[in-house]
Amino acid sequence: MSLRRVLALAFKEFLQVWRDPRSLSVALLMPLMQMVLLGYGVSLDIRRVPLCVEDQENSAASHALVQDFIASGWFAITAALQDEAALRTAMDRGQCIAAMVIPVDFSRVLDDTGQATVQTIFDATDTNTTNIAIGYAQGVIQLASADFAARWAGSHGTPLARVGVVDFEPRVWFNEGLDSGNFIIPGVVAVILALVGAQLTSLTISREWERGTMEQLISTPVQPLELMLGKLVPYFAIGLFDAAFCLAAAIFWFRVPFLGSVATLAVTTSLFTFVVLGIGYLISVRIRSQVGASQVALVLTMLPTTLLSGYTFPIDQMPAAIRALTFIVYPRYYVSILRAVFLKGSGVVELAFPMLALSLYAAFIIWVAARAFRKSLD
Amino acid sequence: MLGRLRVMLMKEFLELRRDRWAMFRLVVPLLVQLFAFGYAATFTVSHVSTAILDLDQSSLSRALISHFTATSIFDVVDVATDQREITRDLNQGTAALAIVIHSGFAADFNNGREAPLQVIVDGTNSNTALIALGYASQIVSIFQSDETTQVLPASAGAGAPQRGERAGDPAAPGTITLSLADQPWFNPGLNDRWFFIPGIIGTLVLVQIVGLTAFAVVREREVGTLEQILVSPISSFEFILGKTIPFFLIGLADVALIGVVGVLWFGVPFVGNPFLMLLGASLFLLGVLGLGLLLSTFSRTQQQAFALNFFLLNPFFILSGFAFPIAAMPPFLQWFTYLNPLRYFLVVIRSLFLKGVGFYDLWPQFLAMFLLGAGALAISVMRFSKSLD
Amino acid sequence: MSGAGPAVLAEGLTKIFGRFTAVDHIDLAIAGGEVMGFIGPNGAGKSTTIRMLCGLLRPSAGRAFVAGFDVARKPEAVRAHIGYMSQKFSLYGDLTVRENLRFFGGLYSVKRAEMVERMRFAITMAGLEGREDALVDTLAGGWKQRLALGCAILHRPPVLFLDEPTSGVEPEARRRFWDLIHELAGGGVTILVSTHYMDEAEYCNRVALIDRGKLAAIGTPSELRGHALGGVLFELECAPLGAALSILRAAPGVIEANVFGDRLHVLLADATAAAHLPSLLAAASVHAEPPRPIAPSLEDAFVSLVTRAPHMPAAP
Repeated sequence: MSLRRVLALAFKEFLQVWRDPRSLSVALLMPLMQMVLLGYGVSLDIRRVPLCVEDQENSAASHALVQDFIASGWFAITAALQDEAALRTAMDRGQCIAAMVIPVDFSRVLDDTGQATVQTIFDATDTNTTNIAIGYAQGVIQLASADFAARWAGSHGTPLARVGVVDFEPRVWFNEGLDSGNFIIPGVVAVILALVGAQLTSLTISREWERGTMEQLISTPVQPLELMLGKLVPYFAIGLFDAAFCLAAAIFWFRVPFLGSVATLAVTTSLFTFVVLGIGYLISVRIRSQVGASQVALVLTMLPTTLLSGYTFPIDQMPAAIRALTFIVYPRYYVSILRAVFLKGSGVVELAFPMLALSLYAAFIIWVAARAFRKSLD
Repeated sequence: MLGRLRVMLMKEFLELRRDRWAMFRLVVPLLVQLFAFGYAATFTVSHVSTAILDLDQSSLSRALISHFTATSIFDVVDVATDQREITRDLNQGTAALAIVIHSGFAADFNNGREAPLQVIVDGTNSNTALIALGYASQIVSIFQSDETTQVLPASAGAGAPQRGERAGDPAAPGTITLSLADQPWFNPGLNDRWFFIPGIIGTLVLVQIVGLTAFAVVREREVGTLEQILVSPISSFEFILGKTIPFFLIGLADVALIGVVGVLWFGVPFVGNPFLMLLGASLFLLGVLGLGLLLSTFSRTQQQAFALNFFLLNPFFILSGFAFPIAAMPPFLQWFTYLNPLRYFLVVIRSLFLKGVGFYDLWPQFLAMFLLGAGALAISVMRFSKSLD
Repeated sequence: MSGAGPAVLAEGLTKIFGRFTAVDHIDLAIAGGEVMGFIGPNGAGKSTTIRMLCGLLRPSAGRAFVAGFDVARKPEAVRAHIGYMSQKFSLYGDLTVRENLRFFGGLYSVKRAEMVERMRFAITMAGLEGREDALVDTLAGGWKQRLALGCAILHRPPVLFLDEPTSGVEPEARRRFWDLIHELAGGGVTILVSTHYMDEAEYCNRVALIDRGKLAAIGTPSELRGHALGGVLFELECAPLGAALSILRAAPGVIEANVFGDRLHVLLADATAAAHLPSLLAAASVHAEPPRPIAPSLEDAFVSLVTRAPHMPAAP
């Protein structure tokens, strides 16, 4: 292996990327655009659930209950409904996600029995939002119960009969604010690198075939391994630059809490970047037209990355067969690595398994690429 | 005009038919993505790995724990003996949720005091954490009311407890409990697929048809036949019609195909009016085709079309409400979604599948799609007339 | 080079693509310092043969040795000892002249100490002094061609393969290029050049005529010119050419008749038949000058060797 040849190839490749507007825009514009789009657009935080209220009683108690809902900050009242028909229309038209129906004998039943039930209707079309809204509503109603009890005790001057109450104390570790951005944005970085990396290198070999320079190259003593290294080195530098940009944006712009070490980040990111570039390179070797190569690169990386990497849809909730499939989706490992480093401060030791998986991938790629590229025209 | 249009359509169909791979390329990726999304896309929390630390070891604490384990959602992966184990479980990710019951729990509860129950959740995935906490909260509620009815046997089945039965105030009820009767409408089982699969109709059609349309025109431009055609008496408008009608039909076929698979294979209900669906799909396709054409007027080569395709479709796909609620986006992105025909189509299609609404409920969406589509087409026609020099 | 013997040796070299035989059992022996021309119509198999000799294609049958190395068994050794200029010149258009030279020098591991001198040599040879920092895309055909040659010889290879290096290049540049080739050959470099320009065949030490994958003839230009045409060659000016051609081809005693530029070359079985031709043509209202005997050119020889006569390009 000649270092001289590798360097000659690397320098040439770098010059070509530098002077090619398309490569540059993929390298620089795409990560920026994706960071903005995905960083802001991908969010599951439903802060204020639109709520409609059909208050059949209109009493002090029912108003107090509605107030409790508003005060929680989790709901925003969008409409006060008159009757069932209005409720149906509101739900049909999607004017609210949740609707509360306070029965006409609410206060009386509460005074008599100490227990009252309020109907809450949810537009369950969006199941995730509904689940979260149900959780919010549960939280509010428990607080409301305590409020009502306290109010009752206060107005009557006596405490309630002693019955035990479970004091539900939720604690959140690692992402205390329960900000979906904190778990999505590290994943976004992984997705961007996977897409950009594959796009960058998918063109490199096919471009040489199309221009005819490949024929010239393979008539020289250059070895397939030297060719691969020489071509990947500049893209590696670009990939790391992009990664640094995205990670910095995640930490300083989107303010994702970062508990880990920069060293761990550097090691794991380098490993992942190498895998990603290698995949694009492989595609480029197999497909000799530039249009074909970049299309295949996109299609092959887009679907698995967005769907099966765990960056939005949690892998451990998927059916077993699909979960098994995700073991070969390489972005999955980097997504979990980034999340662990950011939110848990994990180090290389804790990340042994995903890093091993990525290393295996890297080894496999080198092996396949070395065999796939033949120095011949047929 | 009709004659020229017919000739153009014949050419398009001939080319399509000669390309034997065309059917394959059209249908297979569609089905693959449909099934991939159908099975992998899920926000439902169906199981939570749970660690339990019971330092009280009373019959009450065991009763509470069994409330959790009785559901299929909480999977006990570790019964810990001290706090350190819990910490380790959470740190390593073995457990996503930990229930900690301190000693004295039963004593506190039975003496009418507050009995603290710690539920620690791994907030890394805030979405599943929130939902898991919601479930836990519900279970605690149920436990609470179960225990309360046991402690107050008189109120268990007989209706109102008698006033004055308690020690203390003769008029005090046992406790005040408010509860919710949750009724999910339109999707009572809270089935994720009923949410995603109708949406997939929109996203897949968008991605496929925009791509096809843009490429078809650009390919003619690249090869040089475009010039040839436009030199003939055909007008820009006729040309565009001829190019887009086949894709319009393919788009409708796509909608039908995915819809049928969704209903028959995935079991998603369809309670709406098929004609409204046809209308909605047609208006949506208007916008989609307009987008594709607009794209093609900005691209000289297939390479450019491809890059532009990706840059344009990506935002349209993400910022549509397909998987991530528009309400969760910052205002400046929400404004963008008003220009996205997919946003409106998603409302239409989800309403038709799950709610069975009528025209009067959907007319704003129809109008929006119509305006967007007509606008895009108009701009395309104008650009076409100019772009030839 | 290991051992004495021809610099390039091919024995029964064959290449089959599917059912199509592109190269059909070609035998060649090129001595050191010789300039061998490959002439033939497009699609005859010239490029395919050259690619096999460079180790770019595997022969379907037969053997070849370049600089003493077996191309099938030791392709890498072959590559280290050859220079190759592919049909598309294949320089990097988005790199400058200097960057291209440095790149190829690096690929061939030209020693650094030598690089400076070799680069200067290549730039001077190409006439690109003062334009070292120009992007290659901005250069015209002739400059690119010479630069590509320069890139191919930085490492002083003993054997050079040039695949249609003069296509699409202005005549002045072509002549200049051939001067360069002879200079290199004078220094002992063995050069195999393919071309479809007939007149360039005259510049070579020997010429191999390739037609439909087969070696139709091989020899020095004068040997080929002296190839027995099997008749006497006359040149005839007449008009209209088309009508004359059909008449003559049907006339007795005429072996062959072809258009050459603005006149006809007619091959007669016997010189005496020439006298009758003008009257034969006049009877059909074709005006004709008296025919003149001419010495056959290389082109004439090729035309008769290759039976696709009407398709051979006329001498420019």
